[in-house]
Amino acid sequence: MTTSPISPSVSVADITAALTAIVAGELAVPAADIHPDTDLRAVQGADSVKVLRTIAKVEREYDIELEDEEVFGASTVGEIADVVYRTLTTS
Amino acid sequence: MTTPQSPVVSLPWRVLDDYRCFGCSPHNPFGLGLEFAEHPDGIVTSFRLGRGYESYPGVVHGGLLGVVCDETMGNLIVLRTGLVAFTTGMRMRYLQPILVDETCTCVASLGAPGTDGQVMSARAEIFNSEGILVAASTATYLRVPFSTTRDRISLDDEDADRLDRALADAMFHPTQDHPPVQDHKGVQS
Repeated sequence: MTTSPISPSVSVADITAALTAIVAGELAVPAADIHPDTDLRAVQGADSVKVLRTIAKVEREYDIELEDEEVFGASTVGEIADVVYRTLTTS
Repeated sequence: MTTPQSPVVSLPWRVLDDYRCFGCSPHNPFGLGLEFAEHPDGIVTSFRLGRGYESYPGVVHGGLLGVVCDETMGNLIVLRTGLVAFTTGMRMRYLQPILVDETCTCVASLGAPGTDGQVMSARAEIFNSEGILVAASTATYLRVPFSTTRDRISLDDEDADRLDRALADAMFHPTQDHPPVQDHKGVQS
């Protein structure tokens, strides 16, 4: 398990779990159906606005600003979790 | 233009008879005339922007939403610290368009003070008439005592004294939910 040197209690797994809950709430799908390799834009009912709203909630959850290039370059839950982790550990 | 549901918070600037802040003055005919109320997360303002603030047909110009966020965050810092807050950086995330004449709300909350005690971050979120998050902003502010910036603000001595006292009063009226802001050393601002 990868752990942030800046926030030792935050791991990629923690971020993935939090992100899964946010995605499930925003896209109105069961959390059990969301996996690290789930492509957010491919989830039924998802659209670009809902995905962006998910990103906004993640930014609020971790008090971070994600770069648009990274946000739009990430597709899956796992990829977004990695972006969040990198931001937390390098900011 | 604004209709906060809770009692309106009195801003220090109101002691100036003719202040023209584009965001919050009631004396600027071109301004937004925002008013603020206490909110569990900080302060809130309600606004409805008409076609005079349009971008694409029927859509509110995004720059104006930046003004609303900046104004709400900045005044929150002023109200909590009694210091003048200058915006040093600001990021907007636009999620979906706001329609003209749609009543929206903006809620601002404080972030953590910077390590030098002078810089403070804040966050603002705009919700549309259905309560859906449509824009979010984060910003940093330089907090300075009014006396420090006195020479950069065009006021006569009498108005400057009134504003100085009003800012001090703002600092001494924290709410139960929001005690006075402390810097990283635990010292009240």
